[in-house]
Order: sequence, then C-alpha cells, then structure tokens
Amino acid sequence: MRKTIVVGVGNPILGDDGVGIHVVRRLRGRVKNRGVFFEEALTGGMNLVDLILGYDKAVVVDAVVGEEKGLVKRFTLSDFETVHSSNPHGMSFLEAVDLAKKMGENRLPSEIVVVGITISEASSFKEELSREVAEAVPGAVEMVLSELRK
Amino acid sequence: MKTVVIDPITRLEGHGKISIFLDDQGNVENAYLQIPELRGFERFCQGRRAEDMPQITSRICGVCPVAHHMASTKALDDAFNVEPSSAAKKIRELMYCGYIIYDHILHFYFLGGPDFVVGPEAPPEKRNIFGVIEKAGVEVGKEVIKHRAYGQKITAIIGGKATHPVCGLPGGVSKPISEEERREIERMVESCVDFAKFSLKLFDEIVLNNKSYVDMILSDPFTLKTYNMGLVDEKNRVNFYDGMTRVTDQNGEEFLKFSGREYGEHVAEHVEEWSYVKFPYLKKVGWKGFTDGKSSGIYRVGPLGRLNAAEGMATPLADKEYKRFYETLGGKPVNSTLAFHWARLIELLYASERALELVKDPEITSSKIRNPVGEPGEGVGVVEAARGTLIHHYKLDKDGLVEKANLIVATTNNAGAINMSIRDAAKGVIKKGVVSDGLLNKVEMAFRAYDPCFACASHTLPGGLALKVDVYDSNRNLLKSVERL
Repeated sequence: MRKTIVVGVGNPILGDDGVGIHVVRRLRGRVKNRGVFFEEALTGGMNLVDLILGYDKAVVVDAVVGEEKGLVKRFTLSDFETVHSSNPHGMSFLEAVDLAKKMGENRLPSEIVVVGITISEASSFKEELSREVAEAVPGAVEMVLSELRK
Repeated sequence: MKTVVIDPITRLEGHGKISIFLDDQGNVENAYLQIPELRGFERFCQGRRAEDMPQITSRICGVCPVAHHMASTKALDDAFNVEPSSAAKKIRELMYCGYIIYDHILHFYFLGGPDFVVGPEAPPEKRNIFGVIEKAGVEVGKEVIKHRAYGQKITAIIGGKATHPVCGLPGGVSKPISEEERREIERMVESCVDFAKFSLKLFDEIVLNNKSYVDMILSDPFTLKTYNMGLVDEKNRVNFYDGMTRVTDQNGEEFLKFSGREYGEHVAEHVEEWSYVKFPYLKKVGWKGFTDGKSSGIYRVGPLGRLNAAEGMATPLADKEYKRFYETLGGKPVNSTLAFHWARLIELLYASERALELVKDPEITSSKIRNPVGEPGEGVGVVEAARGTLIHHYKLDKDGLVEKANLIVATTNNAGAINMSIRDAAKGVIKKGVVSDGLLNKVEMAFRAYDPCFACASHTLPGGLALKVDVYDSNRNLLKSVERL
C-alpha cells in the first residue's frame, strides 16, 4: 500500500508559528485511509527528514513568512532557494534532504510537497493563532486533503 | 562613524544581527550583537501546572529541548523538595549524554568545524557539511550522520519521544530502561566513543598540524581573559547533569563555588538600552563594561568555560585529552575563543565514555525510578547545556501552580563575552574601512565558537540564511550593502 505522511511543523506555543500543528490536529480523524499517517514536529532540518523516511509521499504543513498573512500556498522543494524550517543548530530542511540524497539514503519519499500558510511574525509566546491565520486553517486542511486524493 | 551590519549570521538561524561600528578612520570602535526577543514567556508560564513546565520549556528552543527539559525537571525536584532515586539520576544523566553527543557532533561538523576543516578563506558556500564531506570524504559524512542519529536515538529511547523528551518528573523519571533498550544503547555508545576519538584525531590532523590555524587560535583578536564558569562534581571535574557551579579566575584559581539556589547571590544582570538581552556578570567583581581581566565581572560558559572551570574530566580518555589540551595551548586557563571547538570534542569524548559507564551500571535498568514529592515551593535547577550553564528558577503556589519563572540561558551567560569577541575579531581583520567577505567571516568565526542560539523557537519556512552586510559612513548613511546566500 502507498504510504503518505502529513507532518505539521511548528511551535504550538509560539502563536502563528504553530499553524502547521493546528492544521494536522484538524485533519486527524477526518482521514480514513490507512495508508495516511500524521505527525507533529517541533523541529526541522535533519530531524524532519528522519520523520519522512520510508514513506512514498510527504506533505509538510508549515508556516511561511509572507507579506500578506493567512494565504495558503503549495510548494515543492524546488520553489525554495533556501529552506531552513527551523532547526537552528543544524541545517535547513532542503539541505538535509540534499545531504540524505548525497549519502545514498534510499528511503526518501519520491514526492515532497509543502503546504505553506503565510504569517507575518511569531515572537510572542501564546497558544492562539491570529484571526487571519486561523481563518486560513480550513483552506490548508482542504489543500492537504486534495494532496491525499492525488 | 561607519557601521557594518552582518545580518543574519550564516548558519545560525536565530536571527541575530551583528553591528560593527567604525570610527572616522575606518577602524573598529565597537561591535554589538542585537537579538530580537521572544516575548511573554514568563507571563505564558504563570498559572500553569508545575509538572507541565518540563514540556513547555523544552519548546522554547529548537536547539536544546533536552537541556531545558532537564533543568526544568531539576527545578521541580527542588521545588517539591524531593531527591530523585539513584537509578533515576543515572537514567537522566544517560539521556543527557545522548543529547550532548548529538549536539556537539552537529556543532563541530555542521556549524563551527567547517571553518577549520574547509578553511576560513574558503567561499561561504563551501563552509558547511557539504564542504566537510568533500574534503574528508563521503565515509566520514556517513559516520557523522550515523553518530548524530545515535545521540538522538538514545534521548528518544529514554525520553519517550524524539527531540522533545517527556520523561522528566519531580523526583525521578516516568519509565525505566529495559534490558533490550540497555543493550541497544550500549552498542551505540561504544561506537560513539570510537567516533569521538576519530574526531579528535581529525582535529589534530586538520587543525593542530596546521601552523597557521594554531597561530590564529592563539592570536590576540581571538583571545579573551574572562572568568570561567561550569558545573563540577565533588572532585571538581566537568559534569553536565549535576554538581556545584564553579567559577575560576584569570589564573585558573577557584574564585567562587555555589549551589543552584545561591546563583542569585553571585550572578547579577546588566541592562543595555540597545539590547533586550541582559548581560550577566559576577556580583562580587561588578559590571565594568565590555572589558575582560580580573576587574571585570564578565565570565564565559560552554565547552571552554567548563574545561577552564574544572580540574579534569571524570573519564580516562577524556582526561588524557584534557591534559593534552592545556599542554598544547600553554597551560591553564586557555583564553582562546577558537579553542571552544577543541574543548567541544573533548567533551564529546567525555559524554560518550560517561554514557558507556552509565549504561553498564547494573542500576540503570532498576525500576526504582521515582521518589514521592513533598509540598510545592520554590526551586532552582541548573544543568550544563551544550553551550553553557542553564538555570531554571520557579516559584510555585500551594496548589503547585507556577507563580514566577525565571530562566538564564547559556547564550545569555556568554552574551558579554560574545560582544567582546566580535569586537576584537573585527579589530584584527577590519582596518581602515576595508571590509571583505573573508574578513567578515572571521568575525563570524569568533561568534560561532560559542555555538550561540537566539530566539530560536520559531519554525517558519523558508527563513533567512542569507548574510547581509550594510556599511554606513560616519553620518550613518548607507554606503554599501552586500548580500549572500
């Protein structure tokens, strides 16, 4: 059976930064397909790569810093010039994927899609999302569901 | 006055910004690191259940969740007036060794090391793990990745969850280690000891056998004579998990030794209006500005601070390396900022050896992992995070809810010294207004040696890895702006 992992990335106590986690929590229970797995990740870089190994497809849901708040966008890794996805101590997610390829890792998903929700800042500790970002969550949920139907 | 701004620092995604101020002659006058602050943490914690703090605080930082988890758990031991069982302490320390192993490997091979392994003059796009692999070979790259993963795996087995552990409870831990898990950990740490030895050999070959590197390490711009701080055991040897905080002076003599609860009597924080970061200093000496020497209360923490604040390592191979370190660099204390990298590898060896001792200890699989807690009160927890002393201080109300939480993180402890190192490195490499990328990289090298992390709790894509340099004239008009990815 084809296996897909949906990873919500973010920090759930840092306001809009945690939107990816909010999206994944909404999705859990809505998807009956036994080939779909969900994960919440408060991490990036190589740790994030570790999480997606062994799946055929990975959908990474994460906050993206943008000029306008609350937009939902689909990316593939080639859309990013630099992708760091958080882990400040190691390397970017993109670099980590490259490194894994270079090291002959053969368990990488053949397809990696990023569902990004634009946010403007995340510098205060709080659990709630801002209004604009909260309103974008249903759209992001729909986008992930459509990825799962592909 | 000219201003050079390095923003953000490459390979350090905490969005720090370095401003270098030049005088009218184009020479460095001052340098400051400015850090955006993550706001509202203390308020966020107020009224929360004490037992949630190890999980909440581990989310502050994407880099050292295990250190926060552990400092928090120890603060709760203290606040609930409970001594963890002997087995629980060993289990915690074993997990902590796993964290030090992966963190130190990451820093050496991914962040700080590339400057040496690939070379400080190499183009920025080569000064990373890919450059290291190109130079040292794919097999080395595989070993790096394997052993970093081992460290992660050890913390995941014991912590119950990859990256963010959930095992710490006041008075102990939530689950014992099974014999099967013990064997798996033993196999991994045996390999880590060998890898640490290999890494030290690599450092010898690439750095110590290269006279120009050694000269750079020992050069004035990378030298700072501050006090040093770190946790030590009863024999004054380096300890990451527990012990007394020891401070040594510029002659390597013991200056202070205090328990976690006493930190407030010895450490005060200086405030500068241009920075959110408070600058800790030794109360007994006082704040004398950004200056080193005996009369300035600024101190350093982290691998070099710890080695200087101790009298040895508690495991045989690391202790041998400890002695060689001081013999090679001219005795104690070593004040060379770039020696942090070597110190880090000695600690990697210590953490691996110590983990091997712990995993072979018959008590490590004991099921006596928790002692009953007392009444809630006030508590302080101190650990050595990979990058230095980390202090958590909580005040709980009678229902065990958090009234007050204060944290002094490792990078904050180093904040004063980091500013000085940046300034001194800049002075050595920026002369008469001449600023090139290679020169700026040396400034970054001074900074990266501390392995600092700032405001690192956020996780947005794609984020900035770029290096931006703005040069201003004496009237603060922008003269030049250079950007690189």
